[in-house]
Amino acid sequence: MPPADAPAAAPALAVDDVSVRFGGIAALNDVSLSAPGGRVTGLIGPNGAGKTTLFNVITGLQRPDRGRVSIGGRDVTRLGPHRRARLGLARTFQRLELFGTLSAAENVLVGLEAPFIRRAGKDRAPATPVSLLERVGVGGAPDSPVASLPTGSARLVELARALAIDPQVLLLDEPCSGLDETETAALGRLLQSLAAEGRAVLLVEHDMDVVLEICDTVHVLDFGEVIASGTPAEIRSDPAVQAAYLGRIGTDRGCEQLSHLRSILSGDELG
Amino acid sequence: MSVFLSYTVIGVALGAIYAITATGLVVTYTTTGVFNFAHGAVGMVAAFSFYQLWQAWHWPLLAALAVVLVVEAPLLAVLVETVLMRRLHGASTERSLMVTLGLLVILMGVATALWNPLVSRTVPPFFGTDSVRIAGVYVSAQQILTVAVVVLMAVALRWFFRTLRVGVAMRAVVDDPELVAMAGAKPYRVAQMGWMLGFFLAALAGCLLAPTVASTGLSIEQLTLLVVNGYAAAVVGRLRNVPLTVAGGIVLGLVTEYCVGYLPTAHLNQNLVAVIPEAVPVVFLFVVLLVIPAARLVAGGRLPVHTPPRVPRAARSWVGAAVLVALAAAVSPLLGGIALATVATGLALGIVGVSLVLLTGYAGQVSLCQLTFLGVGAFTMGKISGGGGWPGLVAGVGVSAALGALIALPTLRLRGLYLALATLAFGEAAYYAFFSNPSFFPGYGGDITVRRLALPGLAAPGDRLELVEIAVVLALCAVAVLAVRRSRFGRRLVALNDSPAAFATLGMSSRVAKVGVFALSAGIAGLGGCLYAGEQGAISANDVLFFSSLTLLLFVAIWGVRTVTGGILGGLTAAALPVAAAHLPHALADLSGLVAGVGIVLLSRFPDGVLGLPAVSSRVRRAWPREPSPELSTAATPHAAQGAVSAAR
Repeated sequence: MPPADAPAAAPALAVDDVSVRFGGIAALNDVSLSAPGGRVTGLIGPNGAGKTTLFNVITGLQRPDRGRVSIGGRDVTRLGPHRRARLGLARTFQRLELFGTLSAAENVLVGLEAPFIRRAGKDRAPATPVSLLERVGVGGAPDSPVASLPTGSARLVELARALAIDPQVLLLDEPCSGLDETETAALGRLLQSLAAEGRAVLLVEHDMDVVLEICDTVHVLDFGEVIASGTPAEIRSDPAVQAAYLGRIGTDRGCEQLSHLRSILSGDELG
Repeated sequence: MSVFLSYTVIGVALGAIYAITATGLVVTYTTTGVFNFAHGAVGMVAAFSFYQLWQAWHWPLLAALAVVLVVEAPLLAVLVETVLMRRLHGASTERSLMVTLGLLVILMGVATALWNPLVSRTVPPFFGTDSVRIAGVYVSAQQILTVAVVVLMAVALRWFFRTLRVGVAMRAVVDDPELVAMAGAKPYRVAQMGWMLGFFLAALAGCLLAPTVASTGLSIEQLTLLVVNGYAAAVVGRLRNVPLTVAGGIVLGLVTEYCVGYLPTAHLNQNLVAVIPEAVPVVFLFVVLLVIPAARLVAGGRLPVHTPPRVPRAARSWVGAAVLVALAAAVSPLLGGIALATVATGLALGIVGVSLVLLTGYAGQVSLCQLTFLGVGAFTMGKISGGGGWPGLVAGVGVSAALGALIALPTLRLRGLYLALATLAFGEAAYYAFFSNPSFFPGYGGDITVRRLALPGLAAPGDRLELVEIAVVLALCAVAVLAVRRSRFGRRLVALNDSPAAFATLGMSSRVAKVGVFALSAGIAGLGGCLYAGEQGAISANDVLFFSSLTLLLFVAIWGVRTVTGGILGGLTAAALPVAAAHLPHALADLSGLVAGVGIVLLSRFPDGVLGLPAVSSRVRRAWPREPSPELSTAATPHAAQGAVSAAR
């Protein structure tokens, strides 16, 4: 793994010309983006834009029809999910994938005990289940079964579990949903501090304020294509983005919320 | 040439029946997400009802058929859907499997109570023995009818699912009942329709099968298992595709008949030749399972609603073990004769039950051939050092464990349901080709003598001491299984079961965990087999019936498959019920069916069975207050924290 702050080195995570089709629908069309170490990279776009599909392609849960995924300069397109994780890739899920039989602390412990992981070595002190849970802000009841947690806290347990393999690249799929304003702000600070340790953080989030505030770079995905990339300021003023996405929030916030709700209920969202 | 054509005609007709039953399975599975293991039993009940109406009560043929197909089968489906299946949406594969397995046991029990198996019953072909000569081959009217029914069914189903509103809704509902509800359809009505259609097709297959088994008469087990053969065809269609399923059924029928006709029987072991026709569908199923594409990991969102039972700490599990042994020692002098033998057998089966807790309860893998491992363990022990020594015990455990790993290996790529089917196929194949093969199990009754284990320097134990000896081994197995659950490996098994996608994205491969747990569980079952056979004095094919494996698993699930106590009680129940039933009047003879009936209604509501009932588990909780673990919150080093977490669980 090259040092994240070496400018000439390959980015911690690179996606090149990835395409995925589901039947006749192009979920992703020639998508390229990268997430450098030491930075928080945002990925936004309307529902169905292909964000979760891209996460699945990066983590190896979905095989792309075309294109390449590389971690730290190494092509991992043909590797299974567990091999990629061993190279330092971790993620959380939009729809929770906790180990429901285990407690919060045990969920994290499974990650800490995972063998063959190339750990980034960014942790100052040896991590424990409780230290990781505390770091993400849910240190309160490590023994409680995760089934009894509210959604927001459950998401944070997933984040702690992802951190348990001390990843170089961290993918977060809507970590803020279910959190209140204070918790969201705290999570934003946490993500920035994780990036400051040299990790690459790739964030999919519906809360635009969070994305525009904490990300260094933002990519906008619409109908499976990257329509804009740039700093938050550039994205805010990009007319294409406003037309595709931001504008809709201003005028059709209710519709957007409803469609979001439906997509969560239906689970057939492509993005 | 005409011989070949004759076999082809018979094969197509047989395959057509497989196609119908398999299509029924597929329809129910795609519309409800439940793989109905009781499908064969539904066909069996329909065949017996058909016999009753047509032959015993002399109803006209069409009236009898109509009542069975459009009244009995749909009514039964509605009953089953309302009482059992409606609560299973979103339940784990192993739980819904268990409920349908229970339904199978109930239906077989009901059939045994209604139709005394000792009476011979035959159903003639629908139109007498008329036949037509086509291309030099006689084709019976019955065979023509069967093929016509399949064609009609395929066309009708296509029309139903493509055109009718309810059909389209049925295709949608399995993916997402909430969304279908938002679109204005009632999900449970649609699921009900799926069950009705599935039961109708099962009944249709049952009625068409009835005349084909005229030579032996209707038999409850045979009819149920014949429809089980349809599973292989359904797997060809990957449980989703009706045309492929129909094709799979026809191919299966043809392969079976060509094997009967063309295998070089003169050059094979005659004992093997006799069982080949029965073994073809299972071998076919196993081969298909090996070649179907791997399941993709899907992140679909998993957050269980039910809090799992607590895992006792090491100290508590040792106390429990001591209590078990003390109970056995206290009870054994009070018992005698049948009661003593039943308890000892039950404790030996309890060892197998505990192996199921590890495999199914913790790792979520379903084995429908656990008694096959029991049989293999006992057989190995019987063959080594005069049939009863310690080396035999070690070999028995080792061979069973190796076999368990061997079965898990090819099915690693597949999801739980397919693994269950593979174990079913393996169990049946082993039964036909090995346990009922006189080359391996010679002599009258075909059994292998196994002696009891003697402690060094002592004579073989008598009945009472033997009971205590089995209790000691069972207690050690229970403690060991709990220790595995608290270990790193155990956490990994549970994690893999809870979310395979998250497991993989944490950098772990499922292979080691799955093969490991299968081998371990099979080894424990083999150990149980050594003690079981020692207690009985011998092992034979009758000890490893597919149906017994299934009832044992079911009883463990009814007590609670996620607690070792459930495993032990399940074993005792499996041993005690048949003995108790023998002392009851015939109508109650199938006590297992009755208990299974009550049990699965319970299981459809409470996933952790009797021991997981709110009243029971809270009482247990009060009796065993949970100690807080202050170390955990102050843990500084990973090691201390890990220790604390294991202890707290």
